[in-house]
Amino acid sequence: MKKLNISKKTIITFLASQIAIVVIIFILFDLIPVTREYSTISDKVSERGVNTTAQLSKESSNLIDMVRINEHHESYLRNALKLSKIDSISLLIDLRDSLAILSLKGVSIFESKISKIQINKGLKKLPDFLRDSLYSGPLQVTEDLSSIEKFPIVVKKPAKDTSEVNKTEAAPTIPKQNDVFVLMAFDNNMILEIDQQENKLAGSRFAYMNYKRQHMNWFMSRNIRSLFGSGQWGYIYQLKIEIPREDAGSIYRALPIKPFVLVRY
Amino acid sequence: MEKPEKKNILLILLAFFITVCVIFLCLAKSQTLKEIAISFYSYHDSPGDLAQKDSVQLTKQIKETQRRISVLQKRIENLAPATPYLIINTTKNTFVLRTKKDIIREGICSTGSYILLDAGEGQQWIFKTPKGQMRILGKITNPVWIKPDWAFIEESLPVPSKNDPERREPGSLGDYALTLGDGYMIHGTLYQRFLGLPVTHGCVRLGDDDLKTVFNNMEIGSKVFIF
Repeated sequence: MKKLNISKKTIITFLASQIAIVVIIFILFDLIPVTREYSTISDKVSERGVNTTAQLSKESSNLIDMVRINEHHESYLRNALKLSKIDSISLLIDLRDSLAILSLKGVSIFESKISKIQINKGLKKLPDFLRDSLYSGPLQVTEDLSSIEKFPIVVKKPAKDTSEVNKTEAAPTIPKQNDVFVLMAFDNNMILEIDQQENKLAGSRFAYMNYKRQHMNWFMSRNIRSLFGSGQWGYIYQLKIEIPREDAGSIYRALPIKPFVLVRY
Repeated sequence: MEKPEKKNILLILLAFFITVCVIFLCLAKSQTLKEIAISFYSYHDSPGDLAQKDSVQLTKQIKETQRRISVLQKRIENLAPATPYLIINTTKNTFVLRTKKDIIREGICSTGSYILLDAGEGQQWIFKTPKGQMRILGKITNPVWIKPDWAFIEESLPVPSKNDPERREPGSLGDYALTLGDGYMIHGTLYQRFLGLPVTHGCVRLGDDDLKTVFNNMEIGSKVFIF
């Protein structure tokens, strides 16, 4: 067999072209949207005034933090009261107490302990007043992705005879164990992900991979949209919580389509 | 002469494939790359008007906010029913009977199976437990089940007329039933071994002892939260 005749120059050119592609994609799809988002936020900070917490004494700075925390708590409670007036179930995420709560008519009907909270860099870096406004008000889910169906409907035909009826009565179909991963997107460039805390999959690997594919496609489409859009989805503020699998399933299935979510940090 | 050309074509295809993969990977991992991009930036925080206030004013503001928080917390607490209420989780098939402060009893139940019975000719029933806030509309001792049409169709039996005695089935609902409206009830079951599973036609089934406790604690008008 003859050796492949590829020159060193060709290999270097190929590798350089690949690096160039990575850099171009990084600039186009990541750096430019992030820079755009950064300037929007910087403009908002400048509009608010030049005072920074760095110029303040430690005592004032701590007191200002306390004011903000309390005001945010007040706004969270006001919004919880607002949500109690609607007929559907809402989701309250209390990051301070690590709780995911289902609330109906102001009554807490289900609570799940959050075992892990992940907040992406952009959300962590946001100035406090902007983080307050991002979390303020009940957020309505505009779209969602999930690894489980909202309504696990099974179509059944009437029994053919009494023996079939007896068989069903003797052993009903036990629902399949499914892994639960949910993504909820809001219209303020923010997403909330609820993942099961269990690492070991209970359901099929195929279903899990299918969710991961949908998840990746969702982000890819937002990235492409951000290239042409006017800042929408330029940077996605991401909050991820982990709770037990069964609790995550209960929460997702209890919530109506396009539910309201309230977050307290 | 042909072989090297073929090899060249293969190499070009391989290079093209690698390039496509690199582009795809970069787009797929864009969220991670954006995290790298955002690391280059940082914002100054702006406390706005708060910066103009002295510590006395700020402390006063904190106290006022905390007072409002206590009022709001009280208002929210008062939204919970004053009398015992029942919470049913249709995903886990569990229930909690509780008051504002304490749990009276909790355990397993059975709720709607989510089966869609398709009898053809446009006749369909979906066996799911309705979600939301409901109230107990009636309390019945030794209830008799008046079998609806689907109960016969499901078993491929002829559907009797409306008041046919064949529709009456005493004993299958247990000792007590609490009605929720639209034909939905909280009742007992002959199939105790299925408790904890979604097997009902939409009603909520409880075990005998649980049912008795629920029946004794819930009044007409008591709230039931189903999710």
